[in-house]
Amino acid sequence: MVITTRQLSKSYGKVSALNCVELEVPQGSIYGVLGSNGAGKTTLIRMLVGLLRPSFGSVEVLGLNPIRERYELRKRIGYMPQSTALYENLSVRDNIVFIGKAHLIPNLREKVDQIIEFVGLTTRARDPVNNLSGGMKKRVSLGCALINDPEIFFLDEPTASVDPHLKRKSWDLFRKLAANGATLLISTHLMDEALLCDKLAIMSKGEIVLVEKPQTILQQGVLSISMTKKNQIFTELVSANPKAVAAKLHDYGLATEIQSVQIGHPNLEDIVLQIIDSQNR
Amino acid sequence: MKKSLFIGQRVLSELLRDKRLFVLSIIAPLFLIFLLKIFIDSMPQSFPAARYAVPFGAFIVHFLSFLLCAIVLVEERATGTLERMFVAGFSRISIVVGYLLGYLILTTIQAIVVLTETMWLIGLNYSIHTVVLFFLTIWMLAMVSVMLGIFASTFARNTSHILPFIPLVVLPSLFLSGLLVNPEQLPKWAELVGMLLPFRYANDIIRELLTGNSDATAIYMNFVVLIGYGVGLMILASRTLRETD
Ligand SMILES: Nc1ncnc2c1ncn2[C@@H]1O[C@H](COP(=O)(O)OP(=O)(O)OP(=O)(O)O)[C@@H](O)[C@H]1O
Ligand SMILES: [Mg+2]
Repeated sequence: MVITTRQLSKSYGKVSALNCVELEVPQGSIYGVLGSNGAGKTTLIRMLVGLLRPSFGSVEVLGLNPIRERYELRKRIGYMPQSTALYENLSVRDNIVFIGKAHLIPNLREKVDQIIEFVGLTTRARDPVNNLSGGMKKRVSLGCALINDPEIFFLDEPTASVDPHLKRKSWDLFRKLAANGATLLISTHLMDEALLCDKLAIMSKGEIVLVEKPQTILQQGVLSISMTKKNQIFTELVSANPKAVAAKLHDYGLATEIQSVQIGHPNLEDIVLQIIDSQNR
Repeated sequence: MKKSLFIGQRVLSELLRDKRLFVLSIIAPLFLIFLLKIFIDSMPQSFPAARYAVPFGAFIVHFLSFLLCAIVLVEERATGTLERMFVAGFSRISIVVGYLLGYLILTTIQAIVVLTETMWLIGLNYSIHTVVLFFLTIWMLAMVSVMLGIFASTFARNTSHILPFIPLVVLPSLFLSGLLVNPEQLPKWAELVGMLLPFRYANDIIRELLTGNSDATAIYMNFVVLIGYGVGLMILASRTLRETD
């Protein structure tokens, strides 16, 4: 495990932002943290990179304590904050170069060129960040996190307000990074992105309510099966578990008189909301 | 300390590219000294212009460098770039020193511009020796102000939190540190409060120089206090600059 937390808690005065979070993230995986506004995603990530002191509990990242051994740890991680966190008057290039210098990266020039090309900003490299759109700024911010080839990436909503094309490209990159052995912890409130993760922790009100593979979570939902028989449509709701679907189809025996079968997709959003609701009750 | 250099470089290139900050750091002092000139012109002939001119110039530099530095650093905190700097591996001390380096050049320009304009507009003539010491005093005071700005910024989450520090720096310096009234004429307690402020020491040097036959030891002592003040603030600021909440 490259990230382990035990009973990790954080409160701001009376507000409890994080409550007894137990996290275990294996190396080389894309670990999603899904939760609505105020669920505690940012609080969790800031604690993992050593920017927040836990009120209670313990954290270990790469076997290091993020606060006491922060200098050691920070060489090996990349962090993309939720806010843009860029110098608005400086160019795209200068922003990335500055973070590269912090890490004392050799051959910084070429490295920065590569990153700028990857995030698709080669033609805008000399423009001040001020002049970029919101999504482009996110790309610059991602570029800054890539500069030191980290072992773990902490990405706080990396693709919020990024267009679908680049979102796909970003996820392709995330996959490639994970395939090369890097670990990615990605927070999101978007269900379609959550589905792309290897493992998903669902957060609500400062607690982790479920940790599962997204596919397994999907199976907890229901899907609809609509069949046309003698030109009449029958619709039934079945558990999204593949075995349950098969059993249902066995019931019908798929006689020749069944002219068509349509299977509706279970919706992760519905399932997650249901899980969160049942937790809060 | 190479990393401080990177920060200094970045701070400077940011300041030069930001029109708002440029106006605040160079145009504003020029304008304020012009106002001083108008004020002095409206006074009767017997008004001791020299008594107020250079100290006032020094005060403007003091206040503006404080404000400028505090604002820029608080904005770093508010936008999250400070956080990013920490995670990227910049230490607190390298940030404080980096800021100091970044402002070094700006402050030098500021001190030259302000001193030149003051002497030219108000028509003052001093020996080269005195002018150089004036310059050193203002410059040293400005460095202390930068440190004061960094220190104040560690207590602020956003730019509006800097506002309470403005009267806190301006008013006591104005009344208790010798800009308007000589500190010896104040009640003892007020004089002691004035001695807590860096402006008192810069003002003492300037006053000493203005007497014509200045006491070198007194000047020297005040410089030592001013430098000590700056170093003290630097250590303090690098401790209070919050790296973890
Ligand atoms: N500095 C702070 N002081 C007081 N309360 C805070 C502070 N930071 C966060 N909180 C509280 O902690 C809780 C969790 O906030 P957090 O920012 O971690 O949520 P999030 O999941 O990242 O939400 P979002 O999707 O909006 O980014 C919220 O209730 C928030 O109000
Ligand atoms: Mg957040």
